[in-house]
Amino acid sequence: MKPEKAQLVVQGLKEAGVDFTAGVPDAQFIEVYKMLAEDRDIRYVGTANEAEAVGIGFGAWFGGKKPALILATSGLLVATYHLARVNIMHEVPLLVVVPYRGDIGDPRWLGLYKKTTEPGLDAMDIPYRVVSRSADIVRTIKECNESARAWLKCIAVVLNEEALW
Amino acid sequence: MVTRLALIRELAAIVPEDILVVSSIGNNSAFWGQLAEREANLFHATLGMCTPAAFGLAMALPNRKVLALDADGNLILNLGVLGTIANENPSNLTILVMDNRNYLGSHKKEPGMPTATGGKMKLHEVAKGCGIESAWVVHDVPTFREKIQTSFSKAGPHFISAQIEPLDLERPGREKRVPDPRENKYQFAKYIERTAGVEILGGGLGNFG
Repeated sequence: MKPEKAQLVVQGLKEAGVDFTAGVPDAQFIEVYKMLAEDRDIRYVGTANEAEAVGIGFGAWFGGKKPALILATSGLLVATYHLARVNIMHEVPLLVVVPYRGDIGDPRWLGLYKKTTEPGLDAMDIPYRVVSRSADIVRTIKECNESARAWLKCIAVVLNEEALW
Repeated sequence: MVTRLALIRELAAIVPEDILVVSSIGNNSAFWGQLAEREANLFHATLGMCTPAAFGLAMALPNRKVLALDADGNLILNLGVLGTIANENPSNLTILVMDNRNYLGSHKKEPGMPTATGGKMKLHEVAKGCGIESAWVVHDVPTFREKIQTSFSKAGPHFISAQIEPLDLERPGREKRVPDPRENKYQFAKYIERTAGVEILGGGLGNFG
């Protein structure tokens, strides 16, 4: 991932008003995690797994934070039970940002995630947008977070190969 | 051995009004809801989510004391959070674990399958090993009271493992409605907005308000 693409993700979070993030660093998004860990405006908490990050974001929202979860494609699966619970039972808004491994066009053998990512979000009743152009990253993150907070729903931004690499 | 009911009753008697209590699903929320009718309660934190939620709340509101009313099976599902907490070091967080050492025993006439603490695992030692220095195990009401009160008055994070009876044969009456997750969300968020001066729910109209 090029640093300038990671910068767009962080810029989108900032312009969206996100001030709290949690997640588990992964290879695809490592530049984003590094930037967040050093950022003065956005608090980043590195967790042991993605379900823990959901719980922390959930609690932070009740403290007045505007949280986002930065989850690997695989990590979205780890977070599923807690995300479903938060979204469907509590209806607490968490922005979920996912680098989309396994989308069509990804040259690596990660087709598993094509079968799990979008159907998984649908099953959890989490609306999402797939971003395929880097020029759309900032705007989409802002729009998704605005709707999440207005609707009191989790919303995901899924950034695929074309947008990020 | 002490019962969950005795400790939750004691906690209800001594907890200051403004301390935020996040309780795990099951009998922790059910008992707490009956014995401590207060605005500063966030109920029904599901498996693995109670201590992380309390931690996130504590980070967001560093000037408010936060108590996780957790349970052994619930915490063990996301045990890594103890390492996260130790490293972030929130001084306003207390983790209280009602450790009955079994799954599903709370609704049954005999204990369920054992959790890891029903074997060799000692949660207070795990917490210490993760780097939470103030980690304790308690077996009776007086020691419980002392550790809880200390956790409210001294900088944490604190961890208290309460060894309770494996079964909840002694229960409170079901006299009050424990709010469901959405109802509780609005109640708790409005309470936090009013007492902590932060915006959570917003105007309800998005940018049109």
